[in-house]
Amino acid sequence: MAAPRPLMRAGGARFDSGRLLAIALLAGVALVWSTPLLWMLVASLRPQNFGGLDMASLWPDFTPTLANFAEALESADFARLYLNTILVCAGILAVQLATITLAGYAFARLSFRGREVVFYGFLLQLMLVPPILIVPNLTTITRLGLYDSLLGVMAPYFASAFGVFLMRQTFRTIPRDFEEAAVVDGASWWQLIWRVLVPLARPGMVAFAIVSVVSHWNEFLWPLMVVSSLDNQTLTVGLASFTMGAESASQWGVIAAGTCLVAAPLLLAFGLFQRQFVNSFLFSGVK
Amino acid sequence: MLTKSLKLLGATGLALGVGLGVAQAQTEIEMFFPVPVEGKLAKEMQSLMERFNEAHPEIEATAVYTGSYDETNLKTRAAIKAGRPPAAVIMSANFILEYQLNDEIEPLDPLIEAEGSSADAFMDRFWPALHGNARFADRVWAVPFHNSTPLLYINADHFREVGLDPDNPPATWQDWAAAASKLVKREGGETTRWGLMLPENYDYLGWIMTALTMSNGGLYYNPEYGGEVYYDTPSMLGALTFVHDLAHEFEVMPAAITDGKAVSTAFFAGQTSMVVLSTGSLSFIRENMKDDYRVAFVPRNVRNAVAIGGASLMMPKGLSEEKKQAAWTLMNWLTSPEISGHWSRFTGYFAPNRQAYELPEMKQFIADNPDAKVALDQLQYARSWFATYNTVAVRKALEDQVQAVITGDKQPKEALEAAQENADAQMRPYVEATALKLPASM
Repeated sequence: MAAPRPLMRAGGARFDSGRLLAIALLAGVALVWSTPLLWMLVASLRPQNFGGLDMASLWPDFTPTLANFAEALESADFARLYLNTILVCAGILAVQLATITLAGYAFARLSFRGREVVFYGFLLQLMLVPPILIVPNLTTITRLGLYDSLLGVMAPYFASAFGVFLMRQTFRTIPRDFEEAAVVDGASWWQLIWRVLVPLARPGMVAFAIVSVVSHWNEFLWPLMVVSSLDNQTLTVGLASFTMGAESASQWGVIAAGTCLVAAPLLLAFGLFQRQFVNSFLFSGVK
Repeated sequence: MLTKSLKLLGATGLALGVGLGVAQAQTEIEMFFPVPVEGKLAKEMQSLMERFNEAHPEIEATAVYTGSYDETNLKTRAAIKAGRPPAAVIMSANFILEYQLNDEIEPLDPLIEAEGSSADAFMDRFWPALHGNARFADRVWAVPFHNSTPLLYINADHFREVGLDPDNPPATWQDWAAAASKLVKREGGETTRWGLMLPENYDYLGWIMTALTMSNGGLYYNPEYGGEVYYDTPSMLGALTFVHDLAHEFEVMPAAITDGKAVSTAFFAGQTSMVVLSTGSLSFIRENMKDDYRVAFVPRNVRNAVAIGGASLMMPKGLSEEKKQAAWTLMNWLTSPEISGHWSRFTGYFAPNRQAYELPEMKQFIADNPDAKVALDQLQYARSWFATYNTVAVRKALEDQVQAVITGDKQPKEALEAAQENADAQMRPYVEATALKLPASM
């Protein structure tokens, strides 16, 4: 075919080559990051096959089948798992937003004795590795009568050091003028928070919400410790109950399909709200 | 209680009056269970529980899935500390000792004697190799539930291809290394097929090293006392040097860490001709292996010997008398010949209860599956599984060093010295409280 060669002016070529290089680099990084996801998708649609070397291949060289999904779906009560996980994530987030907003406001705006000490004490919590708290937390949960309940899964996360820190920083970036104007108009402290600060701090809250939901959606160890009955299992625990086996080979297809099912809602949500998410992160400086 | 009864009614569709009466008299118990092998094990366990509850209307047992062996250990310990002990736990057989040392589990002798039996008579129903991890310190602490030993799996097609007889698999380390050297395939500088692969992830590697040192005349640990392991010894040095040579001298095994899943996947894919895996993988391999395969004893250098693996049922302290009785009923039911045999056929583990093998369906199964018979035959050479104070850390002390030898970062002798030193440090608190606690000057 005698297609015309693309025209390239001298000036444009330099600009384009730099741009192309950047795109190529980014594409390379994106490929590396997305390989596990791609493999998961390909493997979940691959017919059950233990013998083939093609199992590790990324290339979909087969007739796709939904058998793995069917097997995964029948291995656990996914409707209940989804519901429980959504309840846990939403419950934690709802309480967290209230507690971190109030605590963030206190640390950002109120002056009281020992404010700095208390604040840094709060921050110290970020240094703790969660597993060392399993036994004390479980003891508390049991005393409160929350063992084997979804509330027990949520309770330890109702306060969040990271969230408090983030909200404090966010509030501090908001000029005091807004609040002063509101005070002149006769606003009370809670009206200040609700009508002035919270609307302005929304990007920070969205950023926190993403971090919170993702981490609790993916959490495995703590739900495993608290929950005993099948009715209270979360997605990660339910997934592990039919995919984990220490002493033998794995049914990779079923594992991949189950993992797809677990990850799908988050991936979907991210796809839909990508722009808002990215804006929030840029605004709040969370990485 | 009412909602529970109603739920029960809804689920089973029982007549109202009967159902309510039954539900109120029930003792509710929980059993923690890990899923150590592949397959729909968690589901099968739930259906076993339904069967149990149907046969025992006075008990309502729930099986609680608790992750891997290590996670089950963690959850059990946390639940005991939090004051919510489960009535029974299927616990990795070599973790039982620590619960006994911590005084966290019930000795089962009173329950056995209450039935008019004796500890000897009770233990007699189980294979002798299983006694060490269940009955120690003069008491019965656990009831073996499902058990395994490591086995050598070979690809028979590969054997025939290089002129070896698959029905005469290697029995000594000499034959083993020779066969692996014949089976390995290289193209240019690349190995396209390995002669042998071993599972080298945590837990599995310790178990494999136990089998190798035992096959070399060693013991690995002091079965009588939880404060001693034999890492820096000739039998272990021989075993580790053999592993080193397989990877670095004969180059028949990858000089990289391969975990159990990678090993079985490679075996299915024909990327390796021999593997050592648990008997617990037997059903899974039987169902999914396309090539012709055989199983054999783990080859010996000095003698045939392997350690058992698998899990036992134990009963935490702090239960009410009714719960204890209910848990005991459940434990006995789960280890009865019929259920033991059923679970064995489903999973590939052998049935700890030897009476299971006298049932006609089990005889038929063994006749149909000669590989299951090999696993059973190896039992006479099996020994107790390594269990000490601080078992996991003591095991890791060795595993980290063995991994360093496999990857070529260390030589066997220095690795074992480091492992011994680390392991001794892990056990020091116990040793100082026991063997080294001596009379002061009078």
